[in-house]
Amino acid sequence: MAIAANAVQLPDITYQAYQNNNEIRELTGSEILCEALVREGVELLYGYPGGTIMPFYDALTSYPSLHHVLVRHEQAAAHAADGYARATGKVGVCVATSGPGATNLVTGLATAFMDSTPIVAITGQVARPAIGRDAFQETDVIGMTQPITKHNFLVRNTEELAAVVHEAFRIARSGRPGPVLIDVPKDVQMVKAQYRPSDYTTSEEFLQASQANAPRPADHLLSQATELIAQSQRPLIMAGHGVILSNAYSELRALAEKASIPVITTLLGLSAFPASHPLFIGMPGMHGPAHTNHAIDAADLIIGVGLRFDDRVTGDVSAFAPNARIVHIDIDPSEMHKVKVAAVPIVSDAKVALVALTEAVAPADKRAWLEEIRSWEAAANERGQSIQHDEALPDPVSILDAIYKATNGEAIIVSDVGQHQMWTARFYRWERLNSHISSGGLGTMGFSLPAAMGVKMGIPDAPVWAVAGDGCFQMNLQELATLQQEGVAVKVAIMNNGYLGMVRQWQQFFHSRNYSETPITSPDYTKLAPAYGLTGIRVTSRDEVEAAVKHAMETEGTVIIDFAIESEANVFPMIPSGKTVKQMIEEQPE
Amino acid sequence: MTNAAMPRAGYSDLPRGAEAVHVLIMLVEDRPGAVDRVVGVLRRKRANTQSLSMGRGDAPDLVRITALVKDSNVSVDNLAEQVRKVVDVRQVTNLTVQQAVIRELVLVKVSTTADNVHEAIAAADQFGGTAVAITPDTVTFEISGSEEKIAKCIDALQAYDIREVARSGCIATVR
Repeated sequence: MAIAANAVQLPDITYQAYQNNNEIRELTGSEILCEALVREGVELLYGYPGGTIMPFYDALTSYPSLHHVLVRHEQAAAHAADGYARATGKVGVCVATSGPGATNLVTGLATAFMDSTPIVAITGQVARPAIGRDAFQETDVIGMTQPITKHNFLVRNTEELAAVVHEAFRIARSGRPGPVLIDVPKDVQMVKAQYRPSDYTTSEEFLQASQANAPRPADHLLSQATELIAQSQRPLIMAGHGVILSNAYSELRALAEKASIPVITTLLGLSAFPASHPLFIGMPGMHGPAHTNHAIDAADLIIGVGLRFDDRVTGDVSAFAPNARIVHIDIDPSEMHKVKVAAVPIVSDAKVALVALTEAVAPADKRAWLEEIRSWEAAANERGQSIQHDEALPDPVSILDAIYKATNGEAIIVSDVGQHQMWTARFYRWERLNSHISSGGLGTMGFSLPAAMGVKMGIPDAPVWAVAGDGCFQMNLQELATLQQEGVAVKVAIMNNGYLGMVRQWQQFFHSRNYSETPITSPDYTKLAPAYGLTGIRVTSRDEVEAAVKHAMETEGTVIIDFAIESEANVFPMIPSGKTVKQMIEEQPE
Repeated sequence: MTNAAMPRAGYSDLPRGAEAVHVLIMLVEDRPGAVDRVVGVLRRKRANTQSLSMGRGDAPDLVRITALVKDSNVSVDNLAEQVRKVVDVRQVTNLTVQQAVIRELVLVKVSTTADNVHEAIAAADQFGGTAVAITPDTVTFEISGSEEKIAKCIDALQAYDIREVARSGCIATVR
């Protein structure tokens, strides 16, 4: 697999190399900020300089282990940090100046917040005496990001800066992860203070200490759950993003196999459980396959692990899983009973709870139930159904199959938002663990290209494919320049139907084909890519799909493939918003 | 103060008419933005807030926020968990009205004349209202107590021309 010659080489330097942790030094706020980031193990920062963050950028050049990536828009910095965090499990870091720099981060922070990913955003702020005076590029980023961050800090003085940075990382990583913002006034960055690294506990040290004493779920809850599992004839496991965040892949598998329970993964749970596993039955909800939703409808027990019963999963809540009792495992106590009242609420890290539950359950054989679900699946046989009418055109399934084949299933797929996202979720074979990266909760168009950059830089050995629609891709295509400048090789598959396809599909189904403002043109990507010093390919025939994907893998650097798919291809089946499995649309309405 | 008008999704498992007033006592670190965050959660989660007050408690570094919220048990429990997630929040106590001692302070200013001022003072006194400021044409009463007592006192003062009512919002302790 080709990686561009100037791909990121991270220097092999640790902070011990240039400092003694017990030494007291007088440093500027900017230097303390850099020192604390190095101590947190940060390798990559995505950002964009500007007036109030300039002292930080001045110090940054003295810290060679902090590799800064100059994005072309701050939104992309937040998405790249998010992609990096999702792929590596480490904290992603993004940096912006005050005012418009900070506001441009907002969409990225909201995306990370909805999907519980750990990122730390550092913003410059106007100097303390100017705060509240409507100074140039002043904005209340603390107020603005309050509902979309796990926590945020306005740093009041240089003395508290190091403690704030370590606390920010601890908050971002611990419990249910999430984004944290640190707003640093310009004068705080410039003033000097005494700094002794050993005065501060890093998030890693803190978490290691707290993980050692992670409490096991209470025995009475475990025995209630075990009893429900034993009584159940039609149990299901629904695994969400929490399984991935908790790195509980083998623990999930152990429970499913021991108790013989079919496994559903939510959109963000995809790739937490291998798709080829006999117990895997797919994704639930609005665009889940019919058999998965029928299984939920028929289930008498649902063991939800690390998921929040989102409305795209449940549809009409009162009709969701009407016969099932719920065992809900989640690390966030506020998820218990939020949407569905759980018979057994277990507030716990997914891994810890799954281990305890697996120990407690009796081995069982529920093959009859699995066979029943499989019979529904065979009846629908959706994979065999053509999404498109015109067989000459490239189609989503053949594109996804070609990517799987050309990468031996080793690719990490970063999808954007819309029809292509649902096709990817449904028809890609998720074998590699944690290989599905997507904006699930917020549904942020424009996510895939910058996020894929973060993924590739976090896991340089993996082939990384961004799968986007023609609408999504145009929302952040300025990052092609960043990919080129950094020599990062992301392969891009654009499923180009000349429409904002998902909105068009809804217009077709629910608004009498009134295609209001959904037709969209694209630039010629075979010319756009070379303008950025990259490679662009256009594919208009299904026969050329495989060769084009193979060619992209063999070509150095970032490659864009523009696949001309059928303009009115649809995602089936579909349960309309707020409806139930009984109202599922399985084929093209006349 | 209330968000009750909009219907909410998700609580379909709950029996209808199960709402009751709950008291949330929230101890919050006295840091910039901390109170803002807690109030923000009440707004975002659409708490049906009947009363909100804040002030000091026994600890000098904590702000004590008291909210009366009318909703089902499950919803208020969930709201309490949402508030607990705010990093600045030290403690959340969720009480039923029966478990709590709830008091509110009210100032009521009424118009009076030389002829009826004594009568007004006597009327308020029946419900524990005391005159705290007297001008030639007004008397301001201070009433503190339960909701019921305050309502009765204000009712008694309706006979005079009420110019202004100021309520502190409820504070509470565990019984």
